[in-house]
Amino acid sequence: MKRIIIDREKCDGCLNCNIACISAHQEGSNFYTVDLQDPDAQARNFIKYDPQKGYLPLFCRHCDQAECVLSCISGALEKDPLTGHVQYDENKCAACYMCVMNCPYGVLKPDNKSRTKLIKCDFCDDKPDDPSCVKACPKKAIAVKEVSL
Amino acid sequence: MNSNFSCQTCASADQKLETFISKLSVETSHHRMEGQSVKCGFGLQGICCRLCSNGPCRITPDGPKGVCGATADTIVARNFLRAVSAGSGCYIHIVENTALMLKKTAASKGVLKGKLALAKLAEIFAVEEADEHVRAEKIADMVLADLYKPDYVKMELVEKMAYKPRFDRWKELGILPGGAKSEVFAGVVKTSTNLNSDPVDMYLNCLKLGISTGLYGLTLTNLLNDVMLGEPSIRLAPVGLRVIDSDYINIMITGHQHSIFAYLQDRLIQDDVIKKAAAVGAKGFKLVGCTCVGQDLQLRGQHYQEVFNGHAGNNFTSEAILATGAIDAVLSEFNCTLPGIEPICEELKIKQICLDDVSKKANAEMMPFVFEEKESQSNDIIDAVIAAYQARRGVVALNIDGDHGNDDTLTGVSEGSLKSFLGGTWKPLIDLIVAGEIKGIAGVVGCSSLTAGGHDVLTVNLVKELIAKDILVLSAGCSSGGLENVGLMSPSAASQAGPKLRAVCESLGIPPVLNFGPCLAIGRLELVATELAEAIGVDLPQLPLVLSAPQWLEEQALADGAFGLALGLPLHLGLPPFVTGSPVAVQVFTQDMLNLTGGQLIIDDNAKSAAASLDAIIEKKRKELNI
Repeated sequence: MKRIIIDREKCDGCLNCNIACISAHQEGSNFYTVDLQDPDAQARNFIKYDPQKGYLPLFCRHCDQAECVLSCISGALEKDPLTGHVQYDENKCAACYMCVMNCPYGVLKPDNKSRTKLIKCDFCDDKPDDPSCVKACPKKAIAVKEVSL
Repeated sequence: MNSNFSCQTCASADQKLETFISKLSVETSHHRMEGQSVKCGFGLQGICCRLCSNGPCRITPDGPKGVCGATADTIVARNFLRAVSAGSGCYIHIVENTALMLKKTAASKGVLKGKLALAKLAEIFAVEEADEHVRAEKIADMVLADLYKPDYVKMELVEKMAYKPRFDRWKELGILPGGAKSEVFAGVVKTSTNLNSDPVDMYLNCLKLGISTGLYGLTLTNLLNDVMLGEPSIRLAPVGLRVIDSDYINIMITGHQHSIFAYLQDRLIQDDVIKKAAAVGAKGFKLVGCTCVGQDLQLRGQHYQEVFNGHAGNNFTSEAILATGAIDAVLSEFNCTLPGIEPICEELKIKQICLDDVSKKANAEMMPFVFEEKESQSNDIIDAVIAAYQARRGVVALNIDGDHGNDDTLTGVSEGSLKSFLGGTWKPLIDLIVAGEIKGIAGVVGCSSLTAGGHDVLTVNLVKELIAKDILVLSAGCSSGGLENVGLMSPSAASQAGPKLRAVCESLGIPPVLNFGPCLAIGRLELVATELAEAIGVDLPQLPLVLSAPQWLEEQALADGAFGLALGLPLHLGLPPFVTGSPVAVQVFTQDMLNLTGGQLIIDDNAKSAAASLDAIIEKKRKELNI
């Protein structure tokens, strides 16, 4: 499966991955027009800063043993057997947020506006090429790599 | 020299240039585009602020305000006004030097080649001195006196130069500029840490800077130069890399201050200098045009046929021109002198001399131009260039693409030469517009960039779309450099125009894209527009006239753009000027400006749809004029 691999040494914390992610999920937008002040604007990736260790990019790992999938009571989260990516079906979601509580990396969030759905990386599966965040990283701190399941 | 550069070069509308550059063994801007292809989203939207040590702050969903509380609207407006101030400062530097040059030339009873321009300025400024030198000095003094006023004292020549309906509107809006240099200062102060936070106040300030930039930095620089260097006159001239003749000692000039070269260019063709060149095996000296000062020289080329070999290309052609190996020296006095030329000069042993420290290149020799020492300085420059010629010729390989460019670019178009071409009156042009033979006019101006599809790609495609719609295009700036090299300024380009414009062009023997030369000549377009409006008896926003800076590059272009908006003209840009992160900015530029000045910003990087929008505006204005 393809997975986003992080090289934290290279991250400068520019947040371009955040913008790319928000733009990818804001229909018809690009880097010039993406509305970052829209209440729906929410990135699926995060950069944390540690004064000792520097920047830490946090991306959904689409885990092999995905705690979010295991804890999902409604079947909204499932691991795609072909791609290995964890997929989310908003229609099946009961918004219990067991997934949010169980994610070991803290990358799953409820949506800010309505708190009725999950904001989660979809690997930009509907787009050609690499995920938008990877294409937008000027430092190549994140890259798509093929890993065995 | 970095030999690990990308082998992938960006596209150019100029296919021959694209091929030439792709085969070069030196790195150019065209090679560096790929490495810079990932852009910062905050920068693009203008929502990064680094005015204080709490920053840089970026506007994000989790951080909708900077640490100080500045919103996206405040941050974008501050960044934009800073850029416009800097851009204005650049043009005001040019007009200041030009006015000082005229003052000193007049005081020393030097040659004044442009009698018509002098008479025109004397009339506008109401100067009645009989002696031409006294008259010219007084004119220069009046310009300088205005430039040096404080910001709280309004400049006096604005009312004399501006079209009355425009002046009245500017007065109502409270945007008449004080001293132009002080206005730059005010713009910088206003945008510093925790000062102005009112976006609308800052955008009005931009319009004010636009007026001082446009009337002084652009319009007056042209007219003052015309007095010293001669008025443009229409002729056909060669353009492109083909203008470089390796039998001569070649000097490439870059910058915007033509008058700095005035003495030198006459000196280069004097017998003793030609003898010096002959002594080292060259036929003499030639100036090769590059960037706007080259366009300016091309515009006045009628007066400089012996020393000037033609305009080779725009800012992003400069590295390729040097890579031909046939250039022996670069003389620069302003932008666009790319830092990228430095390693090429180093490798190809090309002598770099800077005549104005604002454009000092790291490896160039600094020879600040001093009017009183111009004779000895010119001799020093000539000796240094001859030494470079001797050291490099025979050692450095030549690689001139003699097929690049063309020999029949129509040049020398100005407000004066165009009017005389039409028989001394604008009536024939107005009649053609009224009859619909020419649907409208588009000023396609400004820079060249490597974005929006590649080098000159959007500019050339947009112009092709516009002329196909019977819209006459006037160009000024590096845009001209691209348009002429691809042949759109040759009379044969008429075949690419719509049927009506084609017929007009073919009957007059002119191309559908008229070459006004450097970006400074945006001021000449303003004169044309004003004279047309005056002749018809309407205000500028009513004219079927649009502006486009499809590939604007720099801060100066933003100051030009502010002038266009102050004039009340629709202004198209290919890429947004780093303002889209602010809803207020978008509202002001694309909507509210219509009520303020009549101007409007249109952003579109697609040639077809941008041309359609501009066409629709022209159609609308025609309807409103009942034509």
